[in-house]
Amino acid sequence: MDFLIALVGKDFVLTAADSASARSIMRMKSDMDKMIPLSSHALMLLAGPVGDCSNFGDYIQANLKLQALTNGFEASTHATANYVRKNIADALRSRGAYQVNSLIAGVDEQDGPSLYYLDYLGTMVKVPYGAHGYGSFFTFATLDHHYREGMSLEEATDVLKKCFLEIKTRFLMNLDSFKVRVVDADGIREVEVAQP
Amino acid sequence: MSQKYNFSLTTFSPSGKLVQIEYALQAVSGGATSIGIKTTEGAVIASEKKMGSILVDEQSITKVDKLTERIGMVYSGMGPDKRVLLAKGRKLAQQYFMTYREQIPTRMLVRELANVMQEYTQRGGVRPFGVSLLVVGFDQHTEKPALYQVDPSGSFFAWKATALGRNMINAKAFLEKRYNDELELEDAVHTAILTLKEGFEGQMTENNIEIGIADSAGFRRLEPTEIKDYLAAIAA
Amino acid sequence: MSIMEYNGSAVVAMTGKECVAIAADRRLGAQAQTVSTDFQKVFQMGPKLFVGLPGLGTDAITVSQRLKFRLNMYTLREERDIEPKTMINLVSSFLYERRFGPYFVEPVVAGLDSKNQPYVASTDLIGCPMETSDFVVGGTSSEQLYGMCESLYKPDMAPDDLFETISQALMNAVDRDCLAGWGAIVHIIEKDKITTRELKARMD
Repeated sequence: MDFLIALVGKDFVLTAADSASARSIMRMKSDMDKMIPLSSHALMLLAGPVGDCSNFGDYIQANLKLQALTNGFEASTHATANYVRKNIADALRSRGAYQVNSLIAGVDEQDGPSLYYLDYLGTMVKVPYGAHGYGSFFTFATLDHHYREGMSLEEATDVLKKCFLEIKTRFLMNLDSFKVRVVDADGIREVEVAQP
Repeated sequence: MSQKYNFSLTTFSPSGKLVQIEYALQAVSGGATSIGIKTTEGAVIASEKKMGSILVDEQSITKVDKLTERIGMVYSGMGPDKRVLLAKGRKLAQQYFMTYREQIPTRMLVRELANVMQEYTQRGGVRPFGVSLLVVGFDQHTEKPALYQVDPSGSFFAWKATALGRNMINAKAFLEKRYNDELELEDAVHTAILTLKEGFEGQMTENNIEIGIADSAGFRRLEPTEIKDYLAAIAA
Repeated sequence: MSIMEYNGSAVVAMTGKECVAIAADRRLGAQAQTVSTDFQKVFQMGPKLFVGLPGLGTDAITVSQRLKFRLNMYTLREERDIEPKTMINLVSSFLYERRFGPYFVEPVVAGLDSKNQPYVASTDLIGCPMETSDFVVGGTSSEQLYGMCESLYKPDMAPDDLFETISQALMNAVDRDCLAGWGAIVHIIEKDKITTRELKARMD
């Protein structure tokens, strides 16, 4: 039931995730954070069973932190995404899969903003915008229609609002609270976006 | 204790030498002489094959052996050690073929053999091989013959012509005088026999030497009858 | 739902006169949902050698990386480029190592050998190799691709003719497959040059 979404703008990546944590048909809490920072300029959004997500997220975060310490620099978004992919793909063929779908958003000094779509099988692709979960069925069409390359934060936020509205209108379930974060040259920060 | 620890028998002497390897080379230079000559059309290897007693069936013992359809080898030094390397070499060649469905190039097989021999200078509980090898082959991708020497230390060299074993120094001097780049394969066989003859004690016959040829048709060991013809041609 | 049809793919390779071509679609889906229209399925493995990996997306990535690793080791060891014939056997033995837990890809190899003769071949997901003199196909659109190739292929086509033929074969095949398409990429390999073109196709 989790919903993740992210889109690349001019010099930032705008990301959002719903904040509901459910078990079966019951909502356990409404202020769940489904994002985990992997470095000062990279953010991972995770969807799937809560246990897998938190375990896998913490494991990746800790390892990348260790690598940053030993190497003396933080990994690029590209390297980070490939590292995450390898962990998912290796686990799939040994210990059994981490059932996590993810989006990795990051901004690099040289390459600018980038977004990687990964599923639980280890499929990875660099995308201008991506979404996971039931919400993706509703929002991909909205994104296809309204997304433009090099959008400002304001324009991107407008597109995101249209996506929220689409979910509110058409999705059977009630996803009413979202956490929205921006990754840009200054790092990761939370932004308030009025819910429809 | 013996399960957990296994120290290498090949250890450095204070002067920085690995004397075990030098002893292995002693075993080689005391062994029967082997010759290798490369020409444009193919490569020849040859060795003397003296028996301890006239009662031994000469055909049951081989000095020249086939590693693959295209690659063969001869050795100087300890016979049983050669047998181990031959078995390992054949297996490595077939493993390569299993992966690539292509005959292993001579250089690759030589490298694999050299790796095995190097490993036996460093691993615990083993001694270096008491043999040097001459490996010849004719490669598909280059359509050229190759001649290599592999030593107990694990080093390997490519040669135009060379010799191993007891008479190595004289044989090499002989080859230096006889070798030229236009040598034909038939001449090379003659030269190999003549070189062996230089230090040969007693009568040379088709049963106390062995010859192998690698050319575009592959590698083969000459039959005693063929060697007999060569010996007759030389005597004439 | 077959795991081979989860992401959707179409790859085709064809021989011409002293040239060879390989083409693939660009779609990456999660069943019926299209996730990306910029997914790489064809990988350059040498100066005149390409491998296409139709099948499960994650395994296409993994296999391309592991093949590249083995190939780099081969070229460093042998100090020469691999022959396309050897490449298909490398692919084959690599896949058969995972006989009872396979990578879900059907590799397609296309290239010119050291004598500049065109070569195409493919294997199934456990590495059974198949060499042909005309064309090989793979992916969810393989039936459609066979139909198109069988009607359009002529032996000994020149590079520009080959490009036109392989492009038409691929585009018309994926238009009858809802899992593949969304643009295409074509590589034409000649003895002294490689031409790569991205095709505009139906984006629905």
